[in-house]
Amino acid sequence: MSEGAVLYFEDFKTGQTFAYGEHVLTEDEIVAFAREFDPQPMHVDPEAAKNGMLGGLIASGWHLCALTMRLTVDGLFSRAASLGAPGVEEIQWRRPARPGDHIRIEATVLETSAPKSRPDRGFVKFHFDMMRGRERVMFFVSTVMFRRHPETEGRPETEGGAPHVA
Amino acid sequence: MWLEDIPLGGKMVLGSFEFTEDNIIAFAKLYDPQPFHIDREAAKSSLYGSLIASGWHTSAVWMKLMIAQRYAQVDAGQESTQDNYISPGVRELRWLRPVYPGATLTYTTEPFAKVDWPSRPTLGLLQSRNEARDDKDALYYSFISQVLIARRPG
Repeated sequence: MSEGAVLYFEDFKTGQTFAYGEHVLTEDEIVAFAREFDPQPMHVDPEAAKNGMLGGLIASGWHLCALTMRLTVDGLFSRAASLGAPGVEEIQWRRPARPGDHIRIEATVLETSAPKSRPDRGFVKFHFDMMRGRERVMFFVSTVMFRRHPETEGRPETEGGAPHVA
Repeated sequence: MWLEDIPLGGKMVLGSFEFTEDNIIAFAKLYDPQPFHIDREAAKSSLYGSLIASGWHTSAVWMKLMIAQRYAQVDAGQESTQDNYISPGVRELRWLRPVYPGATLTYTTEPFAKVDWPSRPTLGLLQSRNEARDDKDALYYSFISQVLIARRPG
């Protein structure tokens, strides 16, 4: 993939992994999200959180999803013909994430499909992992729609995606 | 409130939320800056024909309304504690219709199962079906939530 090239449906192959989104979580961003959407003491009040069952301030699980999305837009979708997503099969919050944690995202392509009924688009199912070192903080599995490559739009999908026309 | 005290079945209304251009763009600029969520002009030529809310915004609003409802019960003395709401994850999250500016969605929750949680026998998992619908009862959003709740001791 050359720098600046747009990624279409045909550019995603089963088994491919994209690594991006290095980020250090701050107390301010954890508290800012949680004040608006999830104002529980463990997410908004560092003092009260010390005495809680998780032993200190932790990020809201929905914040970790939203942050994964932001890092994915910056690191992957900003150069791809993304058309949005119809949903998420599963989210698992495995470990608490705290201020100072150095996180990154790994997105693995689980499968691709191009429905005949919608020749302009294809579906790519991703496993999005939020990693901290070798630990998995959380993951979700989501199918994202991408535009077909203008030159192969409407052709049936072959093994590993439609033929790519350079 | 213990896990044993929570009845299964019965839809509870969590509250309503109006999605506006301003709150759609404000959320998406921080968490999902794709053109069809943040750019009125670019959104017109997108698949959706207009700005739409990020699916994660629709999800975060569920949490906002759920917590507001819970704290209202605490204030009313119907809940004795402000225990944290701990979840190992959710399932089958569906963004069924695009949420356009001006949509007001009403969120509901309906507990349907209590499941053992072997690694922490003092807790159990409450599973609930959650929905968001507009004023014409069209379904926009649904998912299954799972929350760990303390069992009655003994």
